[in-house]
Amino acid sequence: MAAIQFDIENENEWCPGCGNFAILAAMKKAFIAQGLEPRDLLIVSGIGQAGKTPHFMACNMLHGLHGRALPLATGAKIANHRLNIVVNSGDGDCYGEGGNHFLAAIRRNIDITLLVHNNKIYGLTKGQASPTTALGMKTEIQNRGTVSSPFNPVATALAAGAGFVAQGFSGNTEQLSELIVEAMSHKGFSMIDIYQPCVSFNKINTHLWYKERVFDLKEAGHDPLDYEKALQVAHMGAEKIPTGVIYKSQSPSFTDRLDVLKTKTLFEYGFDKLKMNDILGRG
Amino acid sequence: MIKDITILIAGAAGQGIQTIGTLLARVCHRAGLFIFSSDDFESRIRGGHSFHLLRIGTRPLVAPSLNIDILAAVNERDYEYHRERLGPKGIALINSDTKKTMESHAFYLPFDASAKAAGGMIASNTVAAGALLAIIGAKFKDFETVLKDNFRDKSEEVLKLNLKTGKQGYDIGRDIEFPKYFDFTGGRHGRVFMTGAKAAALGALAADCRFFSFYPMSPGTGIISNAAQYGNELPIVIEQAEDELAAINMAVGASFAGVRSLTATSGGGFCLMTEGLGLAAMTETPVVIVLAQRPGPATGLATRTAQADLLFSIYASQDEFPRFVFAPGSVLETFNTVKKAFYLSEKYQVPAIVLMDQFLADSAGTETGAFQTGHEHETFLDQETQMSQDQAYFRYKLTGSGISPRKVPCLSDALVRATGNEHSEEGLSSEDPRVRTAMVEKRFRKQVLMKDEMRMPLVFCEDSSFYLTGWGSTKGSIMEACLRLREEGIDVGWVIFEDIWPLDSHRLKTLLENKKLIMVEGNATCQLGSLIRQETGIDYVTRILKYDGRPFYPEYIIERAKQIMGK
Ligand SMILES: Cc1ncc(C[n+]2csc(CCOP(=O)(O)OP(=O)(O)O)c2C)c(N)n1
Ligand code: SF4
Ligand SMILES: [Mg+2]
Repeated sequence: MAAIQFDIENENEWCPGCGNFAILAAMKKAFIAQGLEPRDLLIVSGIGQAGKTPHFMACNMLHGLHGRALPLATGAKIANHRLNIVVNSGDGDCYGEGGNHFLAAIRRNIDITLLVHNNKIYGLTKGQASPTTALGMKTEIQNRGTVSSPFNPVATALAAGAGFVAQGFSGNTEQLSELIVEAMSHKGFSMIDIYQPCVSFNKINTHLWYKERVFDLKEAGHDPLDYEKALQVAHMGAEKIPTGVIYKSQSPSFTDRLDVLKTKTLFEYGFDKLKMNDILGRG
Repeated sequence: MIKDITILIAGAAGQGIQTIGTLLARVCHRAGLFIFSSDDFESRIRGGHSFHLLRIGTRPLVAPSLNIDILAAVNERDYEYHRERLGPKGIALINSDTKKTMESHAFYLPFDASAKAAGGMIASNTVAAGALLAIIGAKFKDFETVLKDNFRDKSEEVLKLNLKTGKQGYDIGRDIEFPKYFDFTGGRHGRVFMTGAKAAALGALAADCRFFSFYPMSPGTGIISNAAQYGNELPIVIEQAEDELAAINMAVGASFAGVRSLTATSGGGFCLMTEGLGLAAMTETPVVIVLAQRPGPATGLATRTAQADLLFSIYASQDEFPRFVFAPGSVLETFNTVKKAFYLSEKYQVPAIVLMDQFLADSAGTETGAFQTGHEHETFLDQETQMSQDQAYFRYKLTGSGISPRKVPCLSDALVRATGNEHSEEGLSSEDPRVRTAMVEKRFRKQVLMKDEMRMPLVFCEDSSFYLTGWGSTKGSIMEACLRLREEGIDVGWVIFEDIWPLDSHRLKTLLENKKLIMVEGNATCQLGSLIRQETGIDYVTRILKYDGRPFYPEYIIERAKQIMGK
């Protein structure tokens, strides 16, 4: 039965050849590898091509606003910290519109897994520059070349203190699904920035372009427990592109730090009418 | 015969004038007196002109008073600033260590010097409180009890210092002549004295709200800080979000996962929340937003009051969707309204907005009614955990009422799929025009039933020539103004709105037909008046508007109403 159980009958809206298909496949594979069923998963997403992801699989879904997937997921996790929450977001969604939430989610160390489909472009709105678009890249609107330097999500996450930072590539589903499994088993905030070719609007960072540049950090002997090395990896530049787990360190997650959630989820508590009336009686 | 007196305690920010007010209020409350207090302060932590207004009486009080009987000034400049509000028989106490001359009504008293001599300038406020209490005839024994309770968490030394300085102040005050209106003999009464902000927090807790997300903004923050006091006793999580966008989205996320959630803010923060408000509406996720108004636009007047977000709250966010908007007019009503807002928000799976303002949030009143839990904590969630394979769950199932069974994610085989995109019954994005039309209509079917939940405005005195008409926090001042005008033989009634939206035009029209409305609102464009006209075709005759950032005093309404009615 395997992968079938996550399939649903809903017309997929992505362009043929889009890297998102491989990300979706890697997600399903990772869920099955963990023995998760659709009912065990809450997928929260933002707006964009990436944000549509949970529409194309069987799962519980909260498809929110552009840029706001992380606070939405944070609220859900606080309400019920037993939920397995995965967030699908785009480079514009997460690093542009939702940049502040990205930093705050790292600080909170909220135990959710963030997958950023980084196609270095605004896909759904037809090809404007995104925060990760290369300096000088031309688009219909940035027609003399993108003027701002690209945002470095991995370096930023490391600087902000993220406990699990990985780089994926949609062209390597095997590795990507393993990364997703590892990210989801990490207690605390985990993020995978995933390079994803956009066949319609990014003619520079194509599947082939990545293929010629990516290498596997594990094979290269990278130690993800070494923060200094991780920073070096984050700043390698565009010619040799590292993929794999860049950094890992364990610290208590947001919900672990709250005493009130030690024994029960917030959802599970009952309403204590007697205590409430006692409080009200005190005035 | 005067039944109440007003004390104005003035000073700079950071001088603890509220501390004096709180001590006084607690002693009077113990003695069974009724209190109404309000705070007036600047958006600064030190300096400037602030005051705490305390009205004390033998009967319930619902509004502040413009005229004052005792002015307690921490500095001489505060005396100058407020002296014109003193009535002919009023007295002033001015904190001064050097000035000894006594004007007939102004007493220079060494609050600071006494405290210093007793061992700490810090207790200067206790000296002042002692003096004021002696002047109004309170018993020192009661003051002692309140001080002991007030400083119970502090060291023995601190308590001793305050008891000593309290006694010194009390002895100073005993020498000052002032009519003793109250006998301070009242025993146990079970009445409650609290601020609007605290009442809102308790209303949320009594409705089983367990998650509070917010970003600090006056005057909304007080609601959250009051809720935070119960963090050790109740299962609640309070999270300071990175911004209001996050605050509302967190609340929606938590509610989606089955926990009742509240966010509190002021107009500026609410501006940032409007897209999230729409998300709550589109995903049909309940959420309660307390919008404590202050003057705007932009930063406006951070610590002042206004009633200018009524229409904004009704129309906020793009497109159209049903929502509840309430505007409680007193402390107890705030408690009951917030409680009800949770219940109705969940029942209809729509956002509910509770409009407060700085005046209501920071005012405190003695309430004779009961603060109690009711049925409002009861959930409407469909918690059926089992689900047969062939039975698909549709989050947005089309029903006659427009309300679809709501489940929480990951507790059953039912997959809960919610989206802010227009969607099919199963919760998948859809651009089909028939689906779109059906969903708009489904959401609005709920509004028909929501209208039936709304109470009509309170009408006082059928067949009056004129009606002072308002909403929310001006309730008390309108009521007092009306009663005082009637005492003078002027035929006027009131129409006061507490439940604002959705508005049942038909019922309202029947109620208001042939009534001459004088709108009393804290805004410049008469927003409720416009809304009434829009919904019923009934036009108000005239309006008393105020947009200076300060609350309505009954005296102001009385004066303006008399002009209008040619009396
Ligand atoms: C508040 C708001 N602003 C703008 C948009 C329009 N919008 C939709 S998707 C998007 C950008 C998508 O880019 P990205 O997040 O990189 O996702 P992709 O489509 O590339 O996967 C924008 C600007 C919106 N939906 N909401
Ligand atoms: S526009 Fe780009 S990112 Fe969007 S579906 Fe098409 S290829 Fe994929
Ligand atoms: Mg993109």
